[in-house]
Amino acid sequence: MSSILFILSGAPHGSINAQESLDALLMGSAFTQCSALFLGQGILQLVSHQETDDLGVKNFALGFKALDEYGVKRITCSVGDLQQLGLSTDDLMIGIETLDDMAMRQIIKDHDKVLNF
Amino acid sequence: MKFSIIVHGAPYSSQACLSALNYAQAVLVAGHDIVRVFFYHDGVHTASNLIAAPQDETDVARRWQQFGLDNNVELIACIASCLRRGILDETEAERYEKGTANLAPGFTISGLGQLIDASMTADRVVTFGV
Amino acid sequence: MVLHTINKVAALDKCRGLIGPDDLVVLIEDGVYLALSELPFRTYALEDDLLARGLQHRRLESVISIGYQEFVELSVKAEKICSWF
Repeated sequence: MSSILFILSGAPHGSINAQESLDALLMGSAFTQCSALFLGQGILQLVSHQETDDLGVKNFALGFKALDEYGVKRITCSVGDLQQLGLSTDDLMIGIETLDDMAMRQIIKDHDKVLNF
Repeated sequence: MKFSIIVHGAPYSSQACLSALNYAQAVLVAGHDIVRVFFYHDGVHTASNLIAAPQDETDVARRWQQFGLDNNVELIACIASCLRRGILDETEAERYEKGTANLAPGFTISGLGQLIDASMTADRVVTFGV
Repeated sequence: MVLHTINKVAALDKCRGLIGPDDLVVLIEDGVYLALSELPFRTYALEDDLLARGLQHRRLESVISIGYQEFVELSVKAEKICSWF
């Protein structure tokens, strides 16, 4: 069965796209083996303690806590991008595997298909 | 080979919609097959029947419609993206009591499962993003 | 071999480190402006996009101008396609 790597690089809330990309990832994991790679501003989707009530948008990022349950085994991000954002893995709401460039090239190789968001 | 094409951009708001169409045409000219074309995010605006492009401009949405119909290619617009952006077929227009549907002929509204299936079934998957 | 598409100049920073030595890059849409500068990869650029932007004679010689048919051929040769935007 085709495995899919979801590459997520959009910041949350500035548009609905990040929420829609999580929906796609969750749907994907219901069908086949999926992994996630968060790049650049996409890492911001995982920042903990997002409080969206006052702004009046959906706190969709809570859905990331279900990834493990949905069978998404590898949840990864770029170590360089995480550092550039001034963040560490402690700032993120779920456990994540940090990858350097070589490891990111490998995870792309390891999956049959890539879906970019 | 089988191709699936994903479109994230609305006509005119980005070039995604046009590039994807040109690519899709080239795929068929080369003798390959298209599993389906999946319109997501703002790409669902391509499925609107209400686009009235100026005469001297390329009507990308109309060209997609014609492409789908002429070549029997499945053009799917994601239902969740559609509802958010006001692209409705008769069923959804009735369900949400909106008075009118605006899905263009040649397009079908369906779920994200179609995106995943398209990705798994094809040999090559290309996304035209914004 | 992975085929990477890049559709805007700003997307290069996102993907530069992820493009391997065997990979190739197809510049599309506003990404063809990258054809004006040296890139450390095997780079192609869509002719229609170069022409529309007046870049057909301004692109670096190392960037190969291609049509959509060749874009599809390259897609077939690659193992997968990764789209950067």
